[in-house]
Amino acid sequence: MQVIDADIVIVGAGGAGLRAAIAVAEADPSLHIALLSKVYPMRSHTCAAEGGAAGVVKANDSLEYHFNDTVSGGDWLTDQDAVDLFVNEITKELIQMEHWGCPWSREGSGHVAVRPFGGMKIMRTWYAADKTGFHMLHTLFQTSLKYPSIKRFDEYYTSDLIVDDGACHGCTAIEMRTGEMKLFRGKSVIVCTGGAGRIFPFTTNGAIKTGDGMAMAYRAGVPLKDMEFVQYHPTGLPGSGILLTEGCRGEGGYLLNKDNYRYLQDYDLGPATPTPVLKSMELGPRDRLSQAFWQESKKGNTVQGKWGDIVWLDMRHLGEKLINERLPLVRDLSISYVAADPVTDLVPVRPVVHYMMGGIHTDINAATPIAGLYSAGECACVSINGANRLGSNSLGELLVFGARAGRFAVEHAKTVKAPRDALVTAQAADAEGRIKALFKRSGGKQRVSQLKREMNLSLEEGCGIYRDEKSLRDTVAVIADVRARYRDVTLEDKSSVYNTDLYQTLELGAMIECAETVVHSALLRTESRGAHQRLDHVERDDVNFLKHSMAYYNPNGDPRIDYHEVVITKSQPAARVYGAAAGGQAA
Amino acid sequence: MSKRTIQLEVLRYRPEQDKEPFFQTYTVPCEEEWVVLDALNYVKDEIDRTLSFRWSCHMFVCGSCGYKIDGEPKLGCKAFLRDYGDNIRVEPLDNFPIERDLVVVIDDFVEKLQSVKPYIIAKEEKALAAGEYIQTPAQLKAFKQYSMCINCLLCYSACPQYGLTNQEFIGPAALALAHRYNMDSRDVGRSAREHVLAAHEGVWECSFVGACSVVCPKDVDPAGAIQQAKFTSAVDYLTSMVGIGGK
Amino acid sequence: MGARRPYMRTMSKTSWFMTHARFKTYMLHEISSVFVALYMWLLIDGLFRLAKGPEAWEAWLSFIKHPLVVVISLIAFAFFVIHTMSWFKAVPQAMRIQQGEHFVDGKLIIGGHYAALGAFSLFVLILAGVA
Repeated sequence: MQVIDADIVIVGAGGAGLRAAIAVAEADPSLHIALLSKVYPMRSHTCAAEGGAAGVVKANDSLEYHFNDTVSGGDWLTDQDAVDLFVNEITKELIQMEHWGCPWSREGSGHVAVRPFGGMKIMRTWYAADKTGFHMLHTLFQTSLKYPSIKRFDEYYTSDLIVDDGACHGCTAIEMRTGEMKLFRGKSVIVCTGGAGRIFPFTTNGAIKTGDGMAMAYRAGVPLKDMEFVQYHPTGLPGSGILLTEGCRGEGGYLLNKDNYRYLQDYDLGPATPTPVLKSMELGPRDRLSQAFWQESKKGNTVQGKWGDIVWLDMRHLGEKLINERLPLVRDLSISYVAADPVTDLVPVRPVVHYMMGGIHTDINAATPIAGLYSAGECACVSINGANRLGSNSLGELLVFGARAGRFAVEHAKTVKAPRDALVTAQAADAEGRIKALFKRSGGKQRVSQLKREMNLSLEEGCGIYRDEKSLRDTVAVIADVRARYRDVTLEDKSSVYNTDLYQTLELGAMIECAETVVHSALLRTESRGAHQRLDHVERDDVNFLKHSMAYYNPNGDPRIDYHEVVITKSQPAARVYGAAAGGQAA
Repeated sequence: MSKRTIQLEVLRYRPEQDKEPFFQTYTVPCEEEWVVLDALNYVKDEIDRTLSFRWSCHMFVCGSCGYKIDGEPKLGCKAFLRDYGDNIRVEPLDNFPIERDLVVVIDDFVEKLQSVKPYIIAKEEKALAAGEYIQTPAQLKAFKQYSMCINCLLCYSACPQYGLTNQEFIGPAALALAHRYNMDSRDVGRSAREHVLAAHEGVWECSFVGACSVVCPKDVDPAGAIQQAKFTSAVDYLTSMVGIGGK
Repeated sequence: MGARRPYMRTMSKTSWFMTHARFKTYMLHEISSVFVALYMWLLIDGLFRLAKGPEAWEAWLSFIKHPLVVVISLIAFAFFVIHTMSWFKAVPQAMRIQQGEHFVDGKLIIGGHYAALGAFSLFVLILAGVA
């Protein structure tokens, strides 16, 4: 097996991975960086983020406001030391992006413009029309080309982390164009592989969001934290699950039920004002809005039609000029996919799985419990998002914690001693052996697509916007069954060159592992908090559950769920208040 | 949702067993709302697991799923079945070596992208504490269109010059990106990019067929960018002849 | 390289433009320039004849009035039109005019070109005493 030596190995080249790579290159240009990704960097799913990135920059705003919005938005499951650090560092990161060329939308004066966003008391979301993630990703990718120490390995599927004696020493990855496995040895490893939204059937997430990195870290012994918290974005296009940014509502769009009534006023989010008020109505947090949809649906107030169960997103009053300037992609997607022009038509929408609040357990330095292993971006859980992420905090998170992961990985690399060669080689051989065994397996009856479908549907049915014990137990059983049958999957494609049957099979394995942590964590959390709503336990229970769920891998059965204290520094848990009482700024 | 059945003719090439590419036809039951990518995924999931193609976002922004569909370079996620007949032919993009099936080798493009220095070259590094650069909406507008490229490579597939020069021509997307940075009020790197843009295989290789701009799914208009770059390149050449420095 | 065997499809260097309607239109534009050039040559020749004296000039005049030359002139004129139209159509791409946050509408730029062409043609016709 070919061995590639680097000082820092980064797995994943989306926003967080690229930011980490640049941070390493700037901290110490002499360090060799191996940046691996299963896709070319510009294909990473950061590109699909639309709305913006929050950072305090205007005179009427304060770090304290951003802190409070984030902590209460996360229903107090956020670690407050992490949030404090995040709100302090994010603006500097956004300015850095500006210096690197990110085409932020501007005010007439030439300063960056900000827009309103859900759950934020003050306008503080920096944006680049409705393609913020796209511009950030391409800015980071193009900027990364400046640094000769960043060596990219595009289209390498990372299969396993190499861990010895509580420390991470690298990973094994398959070069997709040859099918050859290679061993990457490094002093520090950073995992930035994104979320796992594809475990659900109806999601804004791209095909690549299969939780590979989460599963890899999980198998290596790192707990996955707060995995039961899965964010439904309230406005996805029916059928395709394509995201329509929260910016639609930030700019003043309404959500209407079948009677053209702004139903959110019935869910403690009112009063319904014609122009947007922050933290009210359509600018409430995503968990509340998605739950309101579910309630409306139960009341029979949603629209039944060729797209199933939907409500309307009304942007007609915003006018063609504003829509073209600030929401051009939304217009393009709506016309193409549902034949509705936001300028003249109501656009059908429904909640759609969008983001995993949970992920690889890290501290505020992006360090996992395994020495030398770091993680940042959606795959990690620091946690600044708690039980519900506020829109426009994730693009910020990948910058702040991507950069921190890079810097702390450099520090670690200075102190690390060489791994035991023989052990590393043996682990790599094991990883290769597993792939070879998969190729040799024959006669299996299970199809990847069928297993994936069963897992997908079961999660939506039993572990969606609302859950209860029965639905969760049913899903636990289905996932266990899928996991058992997965061992009997046979590759139909036995070739080496760009064998996507192989990668989809490995991705399914990762998804099953992520899914089991989601559903087991959800089953044991007998309370309702943020995005985790239990019909059989409707109240938040701070006595028993003001703590992070920690799912540990168990190769022979269900994950072991443990708990970890939440860091509370200055904001004691209280009721989450939206609507008139929240005192949000008029947008 | 209404159903229909299409014949999907896909160019197959499995280097370990096929001497050369050939067409394989799949019968695919479709929903009327589908795009070509959905039909390919149906084949992958239900009919033939050996078919390989790239895709991810399904919303015109990641740039993975560029294929030639009925002779025209298109994004698979933006090619709606409603716009096609019942026989649809899907091939890999032209002008790139076929790695396998619909997957092409794009190393050449990635090198070209890097060669144009697609990043801000500032006059002097500005401290973060000094805040952002002032850039008016008009200054932003001057380059914004050219920053929208998703690197899907439809333009390289459509560009005859790229093929006729055996891939020597730097090509539409990379040149448009160079122009994007040249036009950015924060950038002073035009002279650093000039030797690439003004080289034989740079902007002057473009004969303004204009196909790149026609097929671009994001309205980037690389052909326009290249013609404008020709003008600035000529001006830079002339001013350097008479000894006045350019940007 | 291992099992890799990337396959490059060939592109005909002589008939590539027959593969797509867009390329045929492009070639038509390119070919039209040959006629434009030839007709220019004919006109320049006329100037030389004029300089040579009345006899040479008269000979040239009767040459261009020959029915065959008239037919060729008409064909050349058709190509002139094609060449002009395809160039004018492309002008807004090559020449963006920014006014504040907006670009001048391409149709306006194209229209301006046609207006200028019309005005100049009229000027020539007046000069020639035709109009």
